Amino acid sequence: MLDILHPKISNINKNNIDINLSEEIIKINIRGKNKEFFTKIGKILSIILPSEPNTSSSNESYDVLWLSPDEWMIYFEENKNTNIFDQLYKDISSINLGSITDISSQLICINIKGENIFELLSSGSPFNFEKFKNNVGSSTQTLVNHIDVILHHKSKNNVNLFVRRSFSEHLYEWLVDSSNFI
Amino acid sequence: MPNYRIHKTEYIDETKRVSFKYDGKTYFGYEGDTLASALLANGIHLVARSFKYHRPRGIVSCGAEEPNAICQIGSKKDLTEPNVRATELELYEGLEASSQNCWPNVKFDIGGINNFISPLIPAGFYYKTFMWPKSFWKKVYEPLIRLSAGLGKSPTEPDPDIYDHKHVHYDVLVIGGGVSGIISAKMAAKNNLKTLLVDDKKTLGGSTIYQNNESVKIDDKLSSEWLKNEIQEIKKLSNLTIKTRTSIAAYHGYNFLLAKENLTDHLPEEKKRNKIRQRLWKIRAKKVVIATGSIERPLVFNNNDRPGILLSNSINKYLDYYGVTCGENIILFTNNDSAYETSISLHKKGIKNLIVDLRKSATSELIKQAESLGIKIYFNHVVTNTFGYRKINSLEIMKLSEDGNTTVGDKIKLSCDCLGMSGGWTPMVHMHTQSGGKLNFRDDDQVFLPKENSEDQISVGSCNGDFDLENVIDKTVNKINKFLDIDNQDYQDTNIICSKENDKRNIWLLPNKIPLGKTKCFIDFQNDSTAKDIKLALKEGFRSIEHVKRYTTTGMATDQGKLSNMHALGIIADTAGVKMGSLGTTTFRPPFTPLTFGTLVGRNVGKFFEVVRKTSIHEWHVENNAEFENVGQWKRPWYYPKNGENMHDAVQRESKAARESSGILDASTLGKIDIQGTDASEFLNRVYTNAWSKLAIGKCRYGLMLNEDGMVYDDGVTTRISENHYLMTTTTGGAANVLSKLEDYLQTEWPELDVYLTSVTDHYSTASICGPNSKKILNKLFPNLDLSDENFPHMSFKEAKLENINCRIMRISFTGELSYEINIESKYGHSLWKMCIEAGKEFNLTPYGTETMHLLRAEKGFIIVGQDTDGTMTPSDLQMDWIVSKKKYDFIGKRSLYRSDTIREDRKQLVGLLTDDPKEILEEGAQIVSDVKSKPIDMLGHVTSSYFSPNLNKSIALAVVRSGKTIKGQKLIIPMEHKNINVTVSDTIFFDRENKRLNA
Amino acid sequence: MFLINCPFCGERDQSEFSSGGEAHIVRPKQPTELSDDEWAEYLFMRKNIKGIQFERWNHVHGCRKWFNVVRDTSNDKILSVYKMGEKPPVNYK
Ligand SMILES: [Zn+2]
Repeated sequence: MLDILHPKISNINKNNIDINLSEEIIKINIRGKNKEFFTKIGKILSIILPSEPNTSSSNESYDVLWLSPDEWMIYFEENKNTNIFDQLYKDISSINLGSITDISSQLICINIKGENIFELLSSGSPFNFEKFKNNVGSSTQTLVNHIDVILHHKSKNNVNLFVRRSFSEHLYEWLVDSSNFI
Repeated sequence: MPNYRIHKTEYIDETKRVSFKYDGKTYFGYEGDTLASALLANGIHLVARSFKYHRPRGIVSCGAEEPNAICQIGSKKDLTEPNVRATELELYEGLEASSQNCWPNVKFDIGGINNFISPLIPAGFYYKTFMWPKSFWKKVYEPLIRLSAGLGKSPTEPDPDIYDHKHVHYDVLVIGGGVSGIISAKMAAKNNLKTLLVDDKKTLGGSTIYQNNESVKIDDKLSSEWLKNEIQEIKKLSNLTIKTRTSIAAYHGYNFLLAKENLTDHLPEEKKRNKIRQRLWKIRAKKVVIATGSIERPLVFNNNDRPGILLSNSINKYLDYYGVTCGENIILFTNNDSAYETSISLHKKGIKNLIVDLRKSATSELIKQAESLGIKIYFNHVVTNTFGYRKINSLEIMKLSEDGNTTVGDKIKLSCDCLGMSGGWTPMVHMHTQSGGKLNFRDDDQVFLPKENSEDQISVGSCNGDFDLENVIDKTVNKINKFLDIDNQDYQDTNIICSKENDKRNIWLLPNKIPLGKTKCFIDFQNDSTAKDIKLALKEGFRSIEHVKRYTTTGMATDQGKLSNMHALGIIADTAGVKMGSLGTTTFRPPFTPLTFGTLVGRNVGKFFEVVRKTSIHEWHVENNAEFENVGQWKRPWYYPKNGENMHDAVQRESKAARESSGILDASTLGKIDIQGTDASEFLNRVYTNAWSKLAIGKCRYGLMLNEDGMVYDDGVTTRISENHYLMTTTTGGAANVLSKLEDYLQTEWPELDVYLTSVTDHYSTASICGPNSKKILNKLFPNLDLSDENFPHMSFKEAKLENINCRIMRISFTGELSYEINIESKYGHSLWKMCIEAGKEFNLTPYGTETMHLLRAEKGFIIVGQDTDGTMTPSDLQMDWIVSKKKYDFIGKRSLYRSDTIREDRKQLVGLLTDDPKEILEEGAQIVSDVKSKPIDMLGHVTSSYFSPNLNKSIALAVVRSGKTIKGQKLIIPMEHKNINVTVSDTIFFDRENKRLNA
Repeated sequence: MFLINCPFCGERDQSEFSSGGEAHIVRPKQPTELSDDEWAEYLFMRKNIKGIQFERWNHVHGCRKWFNVVRDTSNDKILSVYKMGEKPPVNYK
C-alpha cells in the first residue's frame, strides 16, 4: 500500500482559534457555460451551481463554491461518493460539455474555527471580512500572507481554507505564529 | 536639584515615581510624563547641539513637530533607536536616553567651533565647500562630516522586537482626537457607522483637554470639563473603536491609510517582552475625517534658537497638562491672541510673565482678561536679540515702525529665563495633501487650507483653518452632518462662549538694525538653516521652492520642516515680491513622523521573510542531506553532498551516475496546466510555435512559447491525454505567468475557443528517472507495463497503476538519457519516491539536483528559458528553427519572427564554447570579445551556461554571441580580471549528437 | 493601493489584481498581411496619457478574469469597470 504523506499541519488551539488539517477531502474543479452543462451537473450532484459571486451551495453530500462565472469547486469527504469524479468526467468532460479536473491533492484544506479567526485572517489579508463573517455560506478567493487561498464560511466562525499543497506548511506556520498575537 | 513641577494635574500620577537616565545621569519623573516634560521638571532645557553650527539647543515644543529634543534611546546593539522625539516619548521606569549630535557631550562640544566660523558655512555649503580638492573628499571631508554631524546611531544587530500588521475596514475614520475629532466620531458612530478614531497621544482631547481659561465655556462648563464628558460618552459607543498612541503615517489614494500603533514603547523593559511593540494598521475607510489640528509657528528673529525658547502654547501645555513650568520669569512674544492664554495660565500659577506683541494694538476678551490681571503688554514691539549661552537669560526688544519693516526707538533690555513665541498657527494639512488634495492660501492669517473636500474625505477643526472654539464646533457639526448625510442634533443647543481674535499682524522675517548677514535668525532648527541662507539661495538664482529647500536643506531633517516650511515660503515670497499663495508648498510626503523598519516589515522576518513552496518529497531531500536552491518560491534540491563532498564533487558524481546507470530528479515543481475543450488542439497551435493537431493521443511534444514580440517566453512538454484533453508543463518559475497569459488570450483575443485551463501543478508529484538502467527500474515498479520501444516509445505517455494508485508516466528526456517521468497524486509523492529509490538500489539510482540537471542538459545543448534566454532571443537565435512551423498561418509571436530586426544576421545567437584548456571553467555572465587590443573593446556576447562535464572530461559552455551561427570554429577571448581565456566556438550539442542514448 | 471593483467578485484590494496595460488593442486577425510598421504599431505603440485611460486588469488572485477599467491617471480614480467584449462607456473619451 502506498502511504499518504500529509503536510506537517497539526492541531493548534490558542486565543480562541482552532487550526486543524482536514484530511481526505476530495476537491473537483468544474468549468462550463452552457445550459446543458448546468442541467447535467444539477442532475449528477442534486445541487444547483451557485451563480451569485462569493457564495456557495451545499447539500448533505457536497459543498460547491463559486469561483468565477464559469468555474466552481466542489468538495466532499473522500469516503462518500467515491465515483463522482469518474461520473462527472464521463458525463461532462468526455462529451465536451465542460471541463472536470481532479484537484484533490492540489489543495490542502485547513479548517480554522473560533471567535478570533477573522482577526487572524485580517493580519495577512486585505479582504474585507465584514459581510463574509456575517453570512454563513460565503466563499471567496483572496490572499492570506501573500498566498492564494479559497475560503468557505462553513458555519458560524468556522472556515475551510483551501491552499495549494506546496504553500500549505508555510501558510500554516504563519497562521500559528499570527494567532499568538491576536 | 531644582524642581519645576509646581502643581498637580490629573494627567501626572504623582504616586508613581519613575526613574530614568538621561546622558548617563539619573533623574526622576512621574507616570504620565514625556521625557521632555520630565527633563523640564528637572530644569533641563539644553538637549542637543545643532547640526551645522553645534549651537546649544533646547526643547521647543511638546509634540511631533519637535526639531531639537531628539534622542537616542537605549544602548544595546540590537535595541537602540535614534531620532526619537523626547516630546512624544512617554516616560517609563528604566528608560535610558541620550542627546544626539553632540560629541563629546551636550555641554562641551568641539563642533561648537563651527558657530564661530559660521560665515564659512552658508547655504549650499556642502555643495560649495567640499567640492575640491577632490582627493580631500574621501579622506578629510566625509569623515569630518560624519564624525561631527551624525543624527544618531543605528542598531547594529537584528531587532528582537515583534511587529505586526493588520488590515481593517471602517465606514468612517477620524484622524485626531481633539474637540473636532471627538465630535465627528460621536456623530458618525451614533449614526450606526462603524467608526475608528485614532490619536497619536496617550489621552484624547487635544489642546482643549487642559484648557482652564474661564473665558472659554461650553454649556457653562470649562471647555476641558465639557470635553471630558464627551470623551466618557464616546467610550460607551459600541461601534466606535478608539485607538490612542496611534499615528497616521501615510494617507494613500482610495482612503487607504497606514497607522502605527505604539503598544509597548511606554512600558518598562520587563513588561515589553514577548509583546507586539508596534502594529501597522492598514486601514480602508469609506470616509475619512481629518481633524489633525494645527501647530504653533515660531517667530524668526536674531538668536531665536537658544535653550529656553519654546513655542508659547507648549509652555502652556507643560504647565497645565504636566504641571511643569518652563521658567520662573517668562516673556511671551506673539503676533496673535493665543499667547495670552498661556500668559493668563502662568499668571494664575504665580509665574511672573509679560507679553511682547507685534500688533499695534488688539482687543478681545482674552486681552481684556490679561490686562485686568495686570500683565504687562508691549504692543507694537519686536524681539531683536536674545542672550545667554546654555540658556536664555535676557533679550532686547524694540518698537516696530509703522510699516513693520524696521525698528525704531531705543532698545529695551528685559531679563527672563524662558521665552515663549507664537507666530500664529499652521493647519496640519499633511493628510489632506498626501491623499492628493489641493490647497488654497488664506491671506488673512497666511495659512494654507484644504481647497476642496471630496465626497469621501473632509477636514474639520483647526486643520481646516477654524480656530476659535465656537467656530470649530459649529462648523464641524454642520460639515459632518452634510458629509455623512445624517441629521445629528446632539450639538443643536450647545452654548459656546469664547474669546474672538480680532487683530492680526504677521511678519515672516522680523526686522532688525543688525544687517541680516550678521544675524542668526533660524528657520529650520534641526538643519540649522537661517533666513540669511534662504535669501542667499534666492540671490544665487534659485526660484522654485523645491530647489530652495534642497539647496538650503530647509525642511529636510527628521521633522520634515513642520515648524520651518511656512517661514521659508513667507521669506521667499516677501523677498521675491510674489504672493505667498502663488508659490505653492513643497510636497508633503509620507510618513508624517518617522517609522521604524520593523513596523513596515511586520512579521515578514526570519522564516516569514519570503513565502516558501515545498514539494511533497521535500522531507526526503532534507533527510538525505540536500542543499537547496530557490527557484521562484520553490525550494529545490540543488545537489546531495555525500561524505563531505563539495558542490563540484557532488555534481560530478551525480552526473556520471545518471549517464552510467541511473539518476532520479524531483521534477514536481514544473508548472502543470490541465487543458480541456473541443478547441484544445487549435489553442495549442496558436500558443506554441509548432503544430499540434496531428499529435496522436498518448503522445508528448516539446513546445516553445513566444511573446508577441517573437522572443522565447517559456517551454515545456505537453501530452495529449485524449482527443480534447492535454496536460501542459511549463518552466518552474514561469508557471503562474504562463497561465495568466494563456487566460488572457482565451478571454480577450479568442473567446470563441472552447478551452478550459486549470492549474494542477500541486496535484501531481513527479519523479524523473533517467539513465541506461531506468527501464529496468520502471519494470520493477510497474511489472505489468509493457516498456518496449514499440509499445512505449520516446515522447509517449502511459497510464499505469502503482499498487492501486493511478500514475501518469511520460517517456520524455531533458538529459538525453532514456528517461521516464512518473506523475502521481502529490499525497503519494513521497511514497512513490521512496519506492523508486528502493527499486533503484541495485542500479545505483542516484538522486540528483538542479545543478546536475543543468549540467546534463547543457551537455545535450538543451536550453533553459531564463538562463540561456533573457527575453531577447528568438527561436532562430537559439538555433531552434526546426521547432517553428512554416505551415501554420499564425501563432503568438509569428509575425515578429520576420521583422527587419529579428531577421538581422548579426543578432546574438546561441553557440557552444570550448576552452582551449579543457580544465578551465568559464564564469557564467562573462563577456566575450574577439580582440582585446583595439579600444573600446567590441563586446560580442556573454556566457550563459558553463560546467565541467565529467562525461566528456572537459569544460563546456553555452553562450550568446553576435552572428554566432556563422562563426563555428572561430577563436574568441573571454577577458577576465587577471587573464584572458581562449575559447573556440562550437556546436551547442556536446554529447550524443545522434540521440542514441534515448533508446539505449 | 486602489480598490478595484471586479465586475465578477466586487470591490477588492489592488494586491489581488495584476495590470495588463492599455485596453482595446485588438490583435490583428491576419498578422502576416501586415507590414513591419503596421505590426510594430500593434506591438509597441501605447498611449500612456495623463487623463482618462482605458486599461486591462486581471483579477489574478480571485476569479482569474480579465476585464477593462477606465481610470483617470491624473488622480488615479477608477471611473468605470466593464467586462471583456463589452463596449467602453460612451461618456468617457
Ligand atoms: Zn474577480
